Amino acid sequence: MTRTVGMLGRELRAIWMLLLVAIVLFIATPDFLTTGNLLNVVLAAATTALLAAGQTFVIILAEIDLSVGAIMGLAGVAVAIVLKDHGFLTALLLGLLVGALAGLINGLLVTKTRMPSFIATLAMMSVLAGLTLRITEGNPVAVNNDSFLAIGQAKPLGVPAPIWIMVAGFLVFGFLLARSQFGRYVYAVGDNAEAARLSGIPVDRVKILAFVISGVLSAVGGFILTARLGTAQPTAGAGMELAAIAAVIIGGTSLAGGRGALIGTAIGAVLLGTIDNGLNLLNVSPFLQDVVKGLVILFAVFIDRNSGALSRAAAHIPRPHSRGTVPSSTN
Amino acid sequence: MRLQLDDIHKRFGENEVLRGIDLSVESGQILALVGENGAGKSTLTRVISGAHQPNAGVLIIDGDDVRFNKPQDAMGAGIRVIYQEFRQNLFPHLDVAQNLFVLDLGGRFGRLFVRRGAMREAAKELLLSVGLDVDTAREVASLSVAEQQQLEIAKAISEDVKLLILDEPTAALDETESGFLFEQVRRLRDEGVAIVYITHRLKEAFDLADHVVVLRDGKVAMDESPDVVTEADVVTAMAGRTVEDLYPRHTQPTDRPRLELTDVSVAGAFESLSITVHAGEVVGIGGVAGSGKGEVPRAVFGLRRFTGGSVQLDGKTLDIRSPRDAIDAGIAYVTPDRQAEGLALGQSVGDNITLASLPEFTSAGWVARGSQRAAAAKIVEQLGIRTSSVDAEAGQLSGGNQQKVLLGRWVLRDPTVLLMDEPTRGVDVAAKADIYKIIDEQTREGAAVLLVSSDLPELVAMCDRVIVVRHGRAVAELTGEALSEQSVLEHALESES
Repeated sequence: MTRTVGMLGRELRAIWMLLLVAIVLFIATPDFLTTGNLLNVVLAAATTALLAAGQTFVIILAEIDLSVGAIMGLAGVAVAIVLKDHGFLTALLLGLLVGALAGLINGLLVTKTRMPSFIATLAMMSVLAGLTLRITEGNPVAVNNDSFLAIGQAKPLGVPAPIWIMVAGFLVFGFLLARSQFGRYVYAVGDNAEAARLSGIPVDRVKILAFVISGVLSAVGGFILTARLGTAQPTAGAGMELAAIAAVIIGGTSLAGGRGALIGTAIGAVLLGTIDNGLNLLNVSPFLQDVVKGLVILFAVFIDRNSGALSRAAAHIPRPHSRGTVPSSTN
Repeated sequence: MRLQLDDIHKRFGENEVLRGIDLSVESGQILALVGENGAGKSTLTRVISGAHQPNAGVLIIDGDDVRFNKPQDAMGAGIRVIYQEFRQNLFPHLDVAQNLFVLDLGGRFGRLFVRRGAMREAAKELLLSVGLDVDTAREVASLSVAEQQQLEIAKAISEDVKLLILDEPTAALDETESGFLFEQVRRLRDEGVAIVYITHRLKEAFDLADHVVVLRDGKVAMDESPDVVTEADVVTAMAGRTVEDLYPRHTQPTDRPRLELTDVSVAGAFESLSITVHAGEVVGIGGVAGSGKGEVPRAVFGLRRFTGGSVQLDGKTLDIRSPRDAIDAGIAYVTPDRQAEGLALGQSVGDNITLASLPEFTSAGWVARGSQRAAAAKIVEQLGIRTSSVDAEAGQLSGGNQQKVLLGRWVLRDPTVLLMDEPTRGVDVAAKADIYKIIDEQTREGAAVLLVSSDLPELVAMCDRVIVVRHGRAVAELTGEALSEQSVLEHALESES
C-alpha cells in the first residue's frame, strides 16, 4: 500500500482515503451513491473548497491565513447590505474588494512588518469577525435580489451553481499555481525564500498577492453561502478557517512550504464533505462528527509525515544481507 | 591522562577525510592543531569527542583502547569540546545559573522544585573560578560573546574535565578578551588538564602550545615543538599541496575593465576597497574568516548597502539596491551556502536552473514549460550535471551536482560579472574540476570573475590576481611570482595581535 501511495504524487494520496470512505459508505447506506446525494456532498463542500483553494497558495508559501472564515463572514454581510440599495454588480464588486483589501492588509502585515502570519491573521480574524458583528448588531441580513440568489440556488444543466463556481475557480487558480510565473514563484519562495530573493524574485510581492487571492476566494465563498441561505449570517465564517486548513493538509500540501497542489486541496475538501454527509446519513450524533473529522486529519498528517519512514522500513524488510555500517574491528 | 590516536581513518562515502592520524596529548600539555579548511580538523575533533566513530584505528587513553559510540561516552572519560559555534549549546533565554546546571543529574538543587538560591550561589562560585563576574540571574542572551564563551568553559570544567578541546576559541573575541582566554587556558593546563587548541592564528599556536600539529589532507604533515620550527615552516606544511591537473586556467585576461569598485565601504564589514576586474579576468579575495571578504560580493549584488565608494560596470556607474537590480545589470552571485540560500531543494533541477530567468520564459504571465525545460536540459548537458532528468528534485542530487545546478542558474544568464563565494565548498574533487572548467569558460566569453575563497590552492591556481583582506582592509595585492599559498596566508594572518 505504501509503495503504491508513494508512486502517486503526495497531493493525490487523499484520493485513496476518499475512495475508502466512499466504499464504506456505499456498503453502509444505500442513500450514499445517488446522483442527488453526491451533488449534495460537493455542494456542501464548495464553500470550504474555495477558502481552502486560497489557503493553498498561502500554505505553499510556508505561511498561514487564519482570517479566511472572518473574511468570508464580512464579505457575505457586506454584499447583503449593499444589495439593499444597489444593484447586483455593485454589490459583487464591493464584496470582492472587501476580500481583496483584507488579504492585502494580511500580506502587508506579514511582509512589511515581518509579523508571523499566524499572529497577524489571528488578529485580523478577531478584528474582522468583530467588525461583522458590529455592523450587523449580530442580526442576519436578508437578501431578496434574485440575480444574487441565483449564485447559490440556480442549477444550470442540473448541477448547482456553487459547484460550477468551485470547478471554475479550481481550474483557473489551479492553472495559475501550476503554470504561471507567479505560481512558480510561490513554490520557490515557499521552499527557500532566501534563494528566491537571491534569484531576483520579488518575495514580498508574491506573498502579498497570495494573501489577496486567499481573501478574494474567501469572499466568493461568502457570496455562495449567503446566496444559498438567502441571508447573510454574521457568524457564518466561524471555524471555517480550520476546515479550510484541514482540507489543504489532507490534500498533501506541506505546512513547511514548497510542496502541494490545488487538485489535492479539492480532494481534501470533498473528503471532508463526504465524511460529513456519510455521518449524517448514518445518523451519527453531530457532536461525534467533529471527533471523526479530527481523527481523519490526524491520520492524513500521520501518513504524510511517516510515508518516507514507512517505505524505508518496507524497503529494508526483504534485505537481510544489507551492508552494515559498523566497521569491523581492526585489532 | 594521556590520549593517543593510532592510525585513525574516517570516511564519508567515497570521501576519506582522515587518512591515518597519529598523535598524542597528555595532562599538562597544550597541543595546537592547525590546518587549512578541509584538512580534517573538525572531523578529528568529532572522532575524539565521540560524535563520529573512526572507520579504522584506535583511541588509547592511559594505555587502554577505548571506543566512544556517542558523545556521552567521551564525556564520561572526561573529554569536553568547546565548539566554535558554542552558542548553539547555550539556552539564550535561560539565566546564567540555569545554563550552568541545566542537566543537574544528581539533583543537587532539588528534583521537583529547584532551589534557585543555592543554584545561583554555586553558579557564582564556579564562574569566579574562571574569572567571570556576572549576575547569575542574567539572561544568557544579554552576555557578551566573550562572557558566553567563559560560561561555556565554566560549564565544561564544572564536571571533572581531563581533556579540553577548544575549536577556534578566539574567532569572535577581541584582543583583551583573547588575552584573558589565554591566561585561563594556561591555568587549566597547569591544573593538569590536557588541551587541544584548534586555531588558524599561528601566533596563538606558537605562544600557547607545547607542540604544534599540522593537518593536511587528513594526515599529520608536521608534529613539532614550537621551539624548533618557525611560523614559515608551519605555513609551508599547511599549504604544501601538489597542484594537479585540477585547475584548468587557460584564458588570458584582457585589459578592458569590467567591474570597478572604487573606495567602497560597508560599515562594520570592510573599508575603502578598490578592486578592478577586467573582462576575462579572475580576481580573488583571500582572508581569514571574519576578515570581511565575503561581504564584498554580497554588497555588489545588492544584499548589503554600500556606505561609501562607487561601483562601475563597463564604465557606467551602477546603483544597485536589490538582487533584481544586480541581475538585470548582468551580475551573478554564487552564494557560499547552497542549502540555506542557494537552492530550493524541494523543487526540480529545471526550476532551480531557471529560477533567476523565469521572466524570459514567460509571456503574459504564463510560463512556457517546453522552452523552460529545454533550456534547463541544455545547461544540465553543458555542465555535466548528473541527474535522472530536469524534473528530478534538486535535493536528491549529490553536493557537487547541486553546486553545479546553482552555477548553472547563472551560466544560463551569460553573466558579465560572476561573483563567487566558496564555489567549491563541500564538493568532491571531480565536481571541483568541473566547476573550475566552468569558471574558465565564463572568462573566455568575457566575464569578469570575483572569486572569494578560503581554499588557498584554488585561489592561487584560478586567480590572475589575489587581493588579501584583513580586518576589512586590503593589505596586499598579489600577482605573478608573488602569488603563492604562503604569501596569501602570511598576509592574511600577519600581525594579528
